[in-house]
Amino acid sequence: MKDVDPSTSLRTSLDRLLRAAAQAKDDTPVEMPFGFDTRVIALSRRNGNGPAVAGLLRRVALAAAAVIVLASAGAWLEFNLDGDPIVASGNEFAIADSVIQDEVAP
Amino acid sequence: MADHDPAELVQAALRHDDEAARELVRRLYPLVAKMVRSHRPRRTSEEDLCQMIFIKVFQKLSQFSGKVPIEHWVSRIAVNTCLSQIEAEKIRPEVRHADLSEEEQAVVENLAASSDELAPDRQLASRQLVEHLLQLLKPVERLVIDLLYLQGRSVEEIHKITGLGVAAIKVRAFRARQKMKAQLAKTGAGRNL
Repeated sequence: MKDVDPSTSLRTSLDRLLRAAAQAKDDTPVEMPFGFDTRVIALSRRNGNGPAVAGLLRRVALAAAAVIVLASAGAWLEFNLDGDPIVASGNEFAIADSVIQDEVAP
Repeated sequence: MADHDPAELVQAALRHDDEAARELVRRLYPLVAKMVRSHRPRRTSEEDLCQMIFIKVFQKLSQFSGKVPIEHWVSRIAVNTCLSQIEAEKIRPEVRHADLSEEEQAVVENLAASSDELAPDRQLASRQLVEHLLQLLKPVERLVIDLLYLQGRSVEEIHKITGLGVAAIKVRAFRARQKMKAQLAKTGAGRNL
């Protein structure tokens, strides 16, 4: 890789151009526009609520996700602890049908 | 407030002290304005970009650790904001000889005709020609060339301002120079490249 230190650059057209460009000073004074500071502070205060709302929404979403996971885990456990899937699923018609078949069958 | 330490001003601004926040803006404005002037995309006004940067500064002020000077921290926010704005602009495919002003064309001819340094009265046109060439580069390459050659910063300083690694800065500067050389050759300053 070539060394890019300007002091050791060769006298190429590009280097001469860059050196001349670097000498051109921007003489425009750096003055803060009137009322700029007040405007910036007002805008940052107004936009400052954005992150707080986003944080609240994130916390609510996390809490909802946690509830869903716990509920799913509970349902899964309940389903697996009870050996009869028909009973565990709580389908009344299936339960009734199963009882009738048990009674009628020889 | 004028004689307060910047760290005290930051703490006061975090406690919603408007006067401290105003003083912080007043102190940092020259630094931010200079950064913006160097890296401003063509279609965004200086004041708008300064405003955007200061709003970001105040929104992130609670993240300022105080381990580095506030000027360095604000410089980095300013540079990143300018880069994001520049990225929104389309990179120009090339600069044609006809796109250049008469003064810029004279600089190109001067570069081709002689290996001497350009005369002081050619400095402004040189700057404009360099601005044209910079528009061909990627935003980060543009930033590196500006800091390294136009502002005369060291690689170490650029590393502090931009967060780019030293090797990355050198590689980007090299690639950018190759692109600029190729474009300069196309415009007619082919000799001495």
